[in-house]
Amino acid sequence: MTRTIEYRDALREAMSEEMRRDQRVFLMGEEVAEYQGAYKVSRGMLDEFGPHRVIDTPISETGFAGLGIGAAMSGLRPIIEFMSWSFSLVAADQILNNAPKMLYMSGGQFPIPIVFRGNNGAGGQLGSTHSWCVESLYAGVPGLKMAIPFDAYDAKGLLKTAIRDDNPVFFLESERLLGIKGEVPEEEYLIPLGQATLRRRGDDCTIVGFGRPLYFCLEAAEALAREGIECDVVDGRTIRPLDIDSIAESVRRTNYCVVVDQSWPFASIGAEVAAQVHEHCFDDLDNHVIRVHSDDVPAPYAYNLEQEMLPNARKIVEAVRAVTYAG
Amino acid sequence: MSIEITMPRLSDTMERGTIIKWNVKEGDAVSAGDNVADIETDKATMEMQVYDDGHVARIVVPEGETVDVGTVIAIVAEDGEDLDDIAASAPTRTDAPDEPDATDATDEPAAAPRQAPPPADGDGRVKATSVARRLAEEHEIDVGTLQGSGPGGRIVKRDVLRAVEAGHETAAAVPPAARAAVPATPVPTTPVVETTALEAAQALRPGTVPLTGIRQTIARRLVEAKATIPHYQVTVTFAMDSLLSLRTTLNDQLVEQGVKLSVNDFLVRACALAIHQHPEFNASWGGDHLEIHGDVNIGLAIALPPARGGGLVVATVRQADSKSLRSISHESKRLAEKARTRGLTLDEMADSTFTISNLGMFGVEHFTAIINPPNSAILAVGAALQKPVVRDGELTIGWEMSATLSLDHRIIDGASAARYLATLKQLIENPATLLV
Repeated sequence: MTRTIEYRDALREAMSEEMRRDQRVFLMGEEVAEYQGAYKVSRGMLDEFGPHRVIDTPISETGFAGLGIGAAMSGLRPIIEFMSWSFSLVAADQILNNAPKMLYMSGGQFPIPIVFRGNNGAGGQLGSTHSWCVESLYAGVPGLKMAIPFDAYDAKGLLKTAIRDDNPVFFLESERLLGIKGEVPEEEYLIPLGQATLRRRGDDCTIVGFGRPLYFCLEAAEALAREGIECDVVDGRTIRPLDIDSIAESVRRTNYCVVVDQSWPFASIGAEVAAQVHEHCFDDLDNHVIRVHSDDVPAPYAYNLEQEMLPNARKIVEAVRAVTYAG
Repeated sequence: MSIEITMPRLSDTMERGTIIKWNVKEGDAVSAGDNVADIETDKATMEMQVYDDGHVARIVVPEGETVDVGTVIAIVAEDGEDLDDIAASAPTRTDAPDEPDATDATDEPAAAPRQAPPPADGDGRVKATSVARRLAEEHEIDVGTLQGSGPGGRIVKRDVLRAVEAGHETAAAVPPAARAAVPATPVPTTPVVETTALEAAQALRPGTVPLTGIRQTIARRLVEAKATIPHYQVTVTFAMDSLLSLRTTLNDQLVEQGVKLSVNDFLVRACALAIHQHPEFNASWGGDHLEIHGDVNIGLAIALPPARGGGLVVATVRQADSKSLRSISHESKRLAEKARTRGLTLDEMADSTFTISNLGMFGVEHFTAIINPPNSAILAVGAALQKPVVRDGELTIGWEMSATLSLDHRIIDGASAARYLATLKQLIENPATLLV
């Protein structure tokens, strides 16, 4: 049986189910308890699990991120909510320098089974400092995993897997997606990390995307289909591990690839995926990979400029036309 | 000894040229001075002559391709030489592979991809994508025989697929043993039908159209002209009754000699003669000085037909001030005809000192033109039209023609422009002076 629920509800179901299943799991962050979550993701969780497992923190990301890592070292399985990943920058030393490296540095003594989760990317007129896409900044650190769910179904299935994973998982949600509804089964299910999926099928060009920009990809694919260009839209689902095999399988069929990534172009996830596609599919490409990113500027505040900065459908359509020599 | 014909350097700035059309085919006899091909440079489409007698043994670069200056584009065999020998030994632009062993063809393509041997000379490298090469190999098509539709002539998947559809498959039907006996001539190509800019425009399909060399030059020069020259315009109207009447008279008398003077011919002469009294109209801006030219060379803007890629060129009627109307007429017609059919040489387009752009034949009444550097002015001429006019205090019907000068204010001030137009008006409205 499936129901239609919001992305935020799917996140809560994942956390609640895992907290019922495993006493070691707890949720900590700003406004997660009394206020029921800044974005109402943790609504009702304080009532069910009590203040020892749903914990409000001061506005002190370094403090509570570090606390979570310490808790993980002591055998608990924390879920640390950042109201926005933009605010995680002040906790960089904890989340990048400690969490992903601790297992290595302790000679295998201290796994860090922790999930850092929160909103990532342009939320909608939040300005330059609050619109961070952290994936390109963080994904390069060995020892961490990174998931970026597309819809409610994936949000739940990936988060449950992330909570059960023994490594730090950076879980990138989107304020723009929290209210989007999708079908989610009643029954328990898990989605493995590192397994891409096809959001649309077409043999003329592969579009690879992650998270929110996949909606731009699908919009572009719809428009391109009207021009007679049918696209595969591959949802990577997780950035690390990256399911390059599935991406390459699609590219070998279509011979063309556009990578869509909401981070900035330089030294980005898009650059990484493009490089790997070139490595894996050199003999199968009929053109070099074309990347579509957010423009190389700080996020503008003005609505129209922000829309133009994003890797929007128009840019993707142009990229697909160009890569397939249809332009 | 065979002769290699290379892409000539037809202008100082030319680095690459495009073969627009071959006027000869393999086997044809050629003599020194023959125009064997039309070459598009960054400036214009020009004729290419051969300097030797002989027979065309091989055309190395097909129509539509762009190659660097110095690249071998054809081989001419001198009299007495065997064409086939030369063709077979001539450098191929492409990678016609060495004859494969009988076993070669059975290899898995992925196991031993055959790479193109290095070309014999020049930038003969065949640019093809990985997929295009693999597909071509699967269908046993020599990628070197294909025309690439990708950027810079890159051969892409669809080029191979088109070739497959066009029947290249027949080559694969020949067993390897039989192919081994065939000399290494390339598989004949079926020209890829390209959508012309015109067709694309007519269909109004969204898309992009690559720029021709001429279009790029027009864009660059006119942006430069409009951005750097302080333009202003002065318009005047000429009473055309006398001139049209004189023209009719002259044309009636000259019809047996095949002469037909146009209004524009009178204008060329009038503009040239007027310049004698206004030398700043024959000047160029030199940064810290004015350069006054000794010859009055009138440029004529000529629109090119879409079949030649459109655009426009400016042909030069040299020393127009010392030429008769008959001579100007003859030369204008020759230049316009040649521009539209075969293209002008650089010499035929160089050194103009003043330009006339005439849209009168389209019925245009008035327009303004952009100065053609390094000229100091350009005259934009409309149609001679019948209008109600006042002559000697009476309302009557008369022929009028409007013309607008665009001027470089660094060289010519408004009052000077007005004085020049007054001289021009005097000449045009009293056209007998143009005859002497």
